[in-house]
Amino acid sequence: MRNKILKWALAACAALSVGVAQAEPVTIGFIYPAPVADVGWAKQLDLGREAVEKKLGDKVKTRAVENIPEGPDAARVMNQLVTDGAKFVVLGSFGYMNDGLRLARQKPDVAFLHASGFKQSANFGTFTARNYEGFYLGGLAAAMVTKTNTIGIVGAFAIPEVVAEVNAIALAARKVNPDLKIKIVWLNTWFDPPKEQEAARALISQGADVLFSLHQDTPSVVNVAQAQGVYVVNTNSDMSAHGPDAVLASVTDDWSGYFVKNVEDMLNGSFNGTDFRGGLADGTVKVVAWNKALTEEQMAQIKQAEADLMSGKTHVFAGPLRDQQGTVRVEEGANLPDPEIFAMNWLVEGLDGTLPK
Amino acid sequence: MDWLAFLLSGTVLAATPLLIAALGELIAEKSGVLNLSVEGMMALGAAIGFIVVAESGSHWLAILAGGLASAGLAAIFAFVVLVTLGNQVATGIAVGILGVGLAGLIGKPYESMTVPPMARVPLPLLSDIPIIGPGLFNQPLLVYLAPLLAAALWWMFKHSKVGLVIRAVGESPESAHAVGYDVVGIRFLAVVTGGLFAGIAGAFISVASTTLWSDGMIAGRGWIVVALVVFAMWRVERVVIGAYLFGAATIAELLVQSAGIAAPSQLLTSIPYIATIIAIALLSMDGKRIRLNAPVSLGRVYNGAQ
Repeated sequence: MRNKILKWALAACAALSVGVAQAEPVTIGFIYPAPVADVGWAKQLDLGREAVEKKLGDKVKTRAVENIPEGPDAARVMNQLVTDGAKFVVLGSFGYMNDGLRLARQKPDVAFLHASGFKQSANFGTFTARNYEGFYLGGLAAAMVTKTNTIGIVGAFAIPEVVAEVNAIALAARKVNPDLKIKIVWLNTWFDPPKEQEAARALISQGADVLFSLHQDTPSVVNVAQAQGVYVVNTNSDMSAHGPDAVLASVTDDWSGYFVKNVEDMLNGSFNGTDFRGGLADGTVKVVAWNKALTEEQMAQIKQAEADLMSGKTHVFAGPLRDQQGTVRVEEGANLPDPEIFAMNWLVEGLDGTLPK
Repeated sequence: MDWLAFLLSGTVLAATPLLIAALGELIAEKSGVLNLSVEGMMALGAAIGFIVVAESGSHWLAILAGGLASAGLAAIFAFVVLVTLGNQVATGIAVGILGVGLAGLIGKPYESMTVPPMARVPLPLLSDIPIIGPGLFNQPLLVYLAPLLAAALWWMFKHSKVGLVIRAVGESPESAHAVGYDVVGIRFLAVVTGGLFAGIAGAFISVASTTLWSDGMIAGRGWIVVALVVFAMWRVERVVIGAYLFGAATIAELLVQSAGIAAPSQLLTSIPYIATIIAIALLSMDGKRIRLNAPVSLGRVYNGAQ
């Protein structure tokens, strides 16, 4: 008897929710830590939002709130979105984590996706890109084109994500040319375009003729590379318009497929908060804007490496792998497991400089 | 360009906007008004300057427009603190936030755009000297003008009647009023001039040294300017030392890192601040002289009837 009532209730609920879904669009909120410019992290997230609108049409209505600092402002904005009826919220910055989790506990009927976090629950999923796979390809290309045998890296903060990218660049570049010098400057800031450019010029003055712009949201480093005639591999968006000669490649993130799938799951009631790590294989990480200076033969090698990474034949952090101190971190025949990649706090053997701790 | 030349050119490029804005703030503070809105004024100058150069292609017009926009913002601040007698600290912070917000709003369509850099003016003969030439003497004109401006202000405060009047207004507005000077008018002009300088400095960053505009690109430099003036004990020559020292330490930090020298990068990042504080603290060990240098009425409301 009791079961029957429950079934009835469930069926009624299902009918109701379907009814609602058809009656009016479901609101989906997006919160970005930076303004949406023509390039950058927020722009890539916003392209994902556009894909959701395009794919799901009038079933959904999206709302984007940009340039929201982490902290009380973010908490207020996400509360407001949910109060206004949002059933799905994308939190575009790591620092939104605790406020987002609290809200997710209070509103179990709202689905959340959170960028680069490490805590999940049934209605709170996280997403990260394996950008290191893209930068591995960038590292190969950099080693092929450098004439001074010196690569310079402008890094925002030495968090595991960026450290993994630095290591991937070093491993790839050394595979092509074992004598390559790699210089790193840590800015210890996410956003300071003048300082980013000063760092790029400092690296060029030390002989670097290929730069890596790791997590600079504006084309600051790309500008300097274009002005001073060196190459650059940048993060987030295709910045070749800002450096037509300079951009060697752009490592971009495409969240369209992931956002669309999760919104669809939410609409049909099967949303589940998972820990998504998108890479080359699933199309989240795309390396685009390859420079024409790369010869056909070089491009073929890069494409082969890409295919091998995608098929799983090779792995960026395949053993044997030693750190700066010479300690074996990965045994021969093994790959560095995911939890260790996403907690990377050591530099691979042969890199100069220390990591800020 | 080798690293030594970069150290020099990077230093003057980083220091020039700090110096210009700090000189402006110095004028305002010498007249007794603490204007904490430098960050907002520089941000507005950077945004307006960038827009003008993107639309007109003229860098000098951009510098001028940036300066005038911030002078306008400074006039709002001056009106609130001098006419309606608002608290200088609170008003300064509020107007600063207004400036940053306004800059983000009007600059929105120009987010992450780039413009051609301001023309470099190689100085004849001097620019041919190895290392020093390409480092110091092949720069945008404003880089050379900033120290000249400092020298002019030093002379003004030390030897001219205008300088004396500004100082008098800052030291004892009642006495200045008693001998017939228009305290509010003089302070108003001093604050607006400070705004003009801050705007020029902001525009320099967006059209000459960085050539890119993005919301928040001033990234705290306005606060460094305010600190420079205080640590320099309101002395023009120490503002100059502080600005160039800060610029040099900023660049040296990046060079040390890029040379692969093993040192913790957070420590290196903080060196410009530490070095500037230590240097200027050493220059002003004598507490009595600090009190002598600080404008006595700095930050106090003057209502003319006291």
